[in-house]
Amino acid sequence: MIHPVQKIVIVGGGTAGWLSAGVIAARHQGRIKAGAFSVTLVESPNVPIIGVGEGTWPTLRTTLERMGVSETDLFRHCDAAFKQGARFAGWTTGAEDDGYYHPLMLPQGFTQVNLVPHWLENEGGRSFCDMVTPQGVLCDDGLAPKTITTPEYQAMANYAYHLDASKFAPFIQKHCTEKLGVRHVLADVKQVKLAENGDIAGLSTEQAGDISGDLFVDCTGFRSLLLGQTLGVGFKDSGDVLFCDRALAMQVPYESEDAPMASHTISTAQSAGWTWDIGLPTRRGVGYVYSSRHISDEAAEEELRRYVGHRAKGLTARKIPIRGGHRETFWKKNCVAVGLAAGFLEPLESSAIVLIELSAKLIAEQMPANREVMDIVSARFNDVNHYRWGRIIDFLKLHYVLTRRPEKFWQDNTDPATVPDRLKNLLHLWKYQPPWFFDEFDRIEEVFPAASYQYVLYGMGFRTEVSPDSNSGTRAMAAGYMREAQDMTRKMRATLPRNRDLVKKIHEYGLQPI
Amino acid sequence: MTNVTLLNNYAHRGLKVQAGASARFGDNQRFVPVILGEFPFLAVHYPILLTKDSNTGVFFVGAMLGFDEGENLFLDGRGMQTYRPLNLQRGPFFTAGSDLAIDLDSPRVGETGTALFTEAGEPSRYLQGIMALFRDLTRGIDLTKAFVDALLRLKLVEPVDITVSFDDGGKRTLTGLYTINQDSLRALDDATVIDLFRREYLHLIYLMIASLKQVAVLARMKNDALLDTSAALAGV
Repeated sequence: MIHPVQKIVIVGGGTAGWLSAGVIAARHQGRIKAGAFSVTLVESPNVPIIGVGEGTWPTLRTTLERMGVSETDLFRHCDAAFKQGARFAGWTTGAEDDGYYHPLMLPQGFTQVNLVPHWLENEGGRSFCDMVTPQGVLCDDGLAPKTITTPEYQAMANYAYHLDASKFAPFIQKHCTEKLGVRHVLADVKQVKLAENGDIAGLSTEQAGDISGDLFVDCTGFRSLLLGQTLGVGFKDSGDVLFCDRALAMQVPYESEDAPMASHTISTAQSAGWTWDIGLPTRRGVGYVYSSRHISDEAAEEELRRYVGHRAKGLTARKIPIRGGHRETFWKKNCVAVGLAAGFLEPLESSAIVLIELSAKLIAEQMPANREVMDIVSARFNDVNHYRWGRIIDFLKLHYVLTRRPEKFWQDNTDPATVPDRLKNLLHLWKYQPPWFFDEFDRIEEVFPAASYQYVLYGMGFRTEVSPDSNSGTRAMAAGYMREAQDMTRKMRATLPRNRDLVKKIHEYGLQPI
Repeated sequence: MTNVTLLNNYAHRGLKVQAGASARFGDNQRFVPVILGEFPFLAVHYPILLTKDSNTGVFFVGAMLGFDEGENLFLDGRGMQTYRPLNLQRGPFFTAGSDLAIDLDSPRVGETGTALFTEAGEPSRYLQGIMALFRDLTRGIDLTKAFVDALLRLKLVEPVDITVSFDDGGKRTLTGLYTINQDSLRALDDATVIDLFRREYLHLIYLMIASLKQVAVLARMKNDALLDTSAALAGV
């Protein structure tokens, strides 16, 4: 007998739960309307939500647009602002002028020619970023990535959002239940019941009785109630590679209502970790991610307060434990984990929400028709996710290994024993050829494309040996694209409004859907 | 500079206004906001299109009078021989709530032209006409906004890029203009179509579609003007 997969039960109502519900329900609207498919989200009325991150990735624009969410509403209800990338300050030497951008725009002509060797050949003191894209300059100037006449979700300069994570989940919830037909059950799970074959058969709840399902999505956060606790899938700790295990977070008010609001995340290296600084319209979210092996909580808080300055007076810092790593398997039997239940990594590159989106999309697109083919899909899902988590860990580590800072935290980070082999090999290779296509980053929906590696590597002073002769074939084309980047920079500086002004206008007039 | 003040028959009793269409008085506009009631008069001469307010991003509907900034192809030494949109006809006047206001710094305002008040201090026929114009315009602005909102809600608006080549080798590409999406219009369900008809929107929608034919007419006018200029320059 064939067992069709028709009832999806999501457990947990944070960002992961509601985004998964929205992505799956939007993709299967036809079947939901026909009454042949259902998405139910079970959420405890008593468990507080951990707001994951305030930084996102540009994928969120497509994800929300596909769900039918209005971008204007996102700005108005989630305290959202534009994010055009991140600036890493002090990561290489810690000197006053030490800093580089990881922008969200690809280098001009990225699919046509690798600009790295051409920039190396003729550096002239200008950063790689500024030679190949306008975005670093736009961030320096505090400009928005579009204008009030640019339609919703469209960009002049690629962008993501900074947002208030505690407002985001309720916002998506409203859309899911009102527009997408997601059933919302407020109940505490008493027991998870297993079937004879080891699948999850259903949940016994305190307030809503038994809930059965064909596929269970575990979005229960760090505790991983279904995949971890019930199905016994272990946790693979990444603390040997990425040392940060604690965070202190603070909400800092602006000097005035009209104070400039950065359109990029500012990540500043500190003695035993780094601080994030994220501009929302109503406040700055600031925090220190650090390694408790290298600094005490008290000293870390002092350092954070020093970074914030006089505005930190009277503010409390919230302590958040971080356990970096991920589940050994992500989809077992008829249960798949998304969000913190799948794993967590320090928010250095805002990977939390993008991983939720990518997992939800893969589940939605590959939704197994019946239980009999589910194991084929889950094997694939696990392959992809192992690859993704591995690559993100590599990429985060890349930010640390090239440092020349003297503090123990930073020096420990350069110890080869803490660098994953794959990254070690790549760093060796990149001494002689710069990353680009035909490297290893050729997966569809690669979380961090080769361009991201370029920005970080060359932003941190890494140099690749290139021979001028090997450039001759593409020199004219490369010069053309670099000129194009300069022209765009000029034009965009003249056209784009200040980040804060545009967000204000969106609150007042909204963005048009076309 | 503007110096807008409420109009009154004492302080302004001697004031005169030059009401005719002229580039020197600001009729040289490429795109003029219009209201629904004007559509039948506009559609026989000008493309009726949507665009976004550059300051707010909000859509409004207007008549296209030219291709370049400051170009009104229908304006000649004698004024405008075709229908002159209300927003040009209103000249130096504005509304302030239900009152009429005037920009005293407008070059139209002074000691020559048409008087605003009679000897007895009553509004002149010209001023009565302006007051009637504002009654239409004020009400029309709200009705037009409701119409544009309905178009957007029904997803009947689509961008249209207008590219025209001229015989002098020049080329113009106009962006940021929008028109009716005819595929979406055809795909509307019966109930919506009847609703649009009853609200008298359907007629307006078809006037907008028909008015697109005027783009080619404007292009020809512009082309002729360019050829005249180059002929004159060449001394032909």
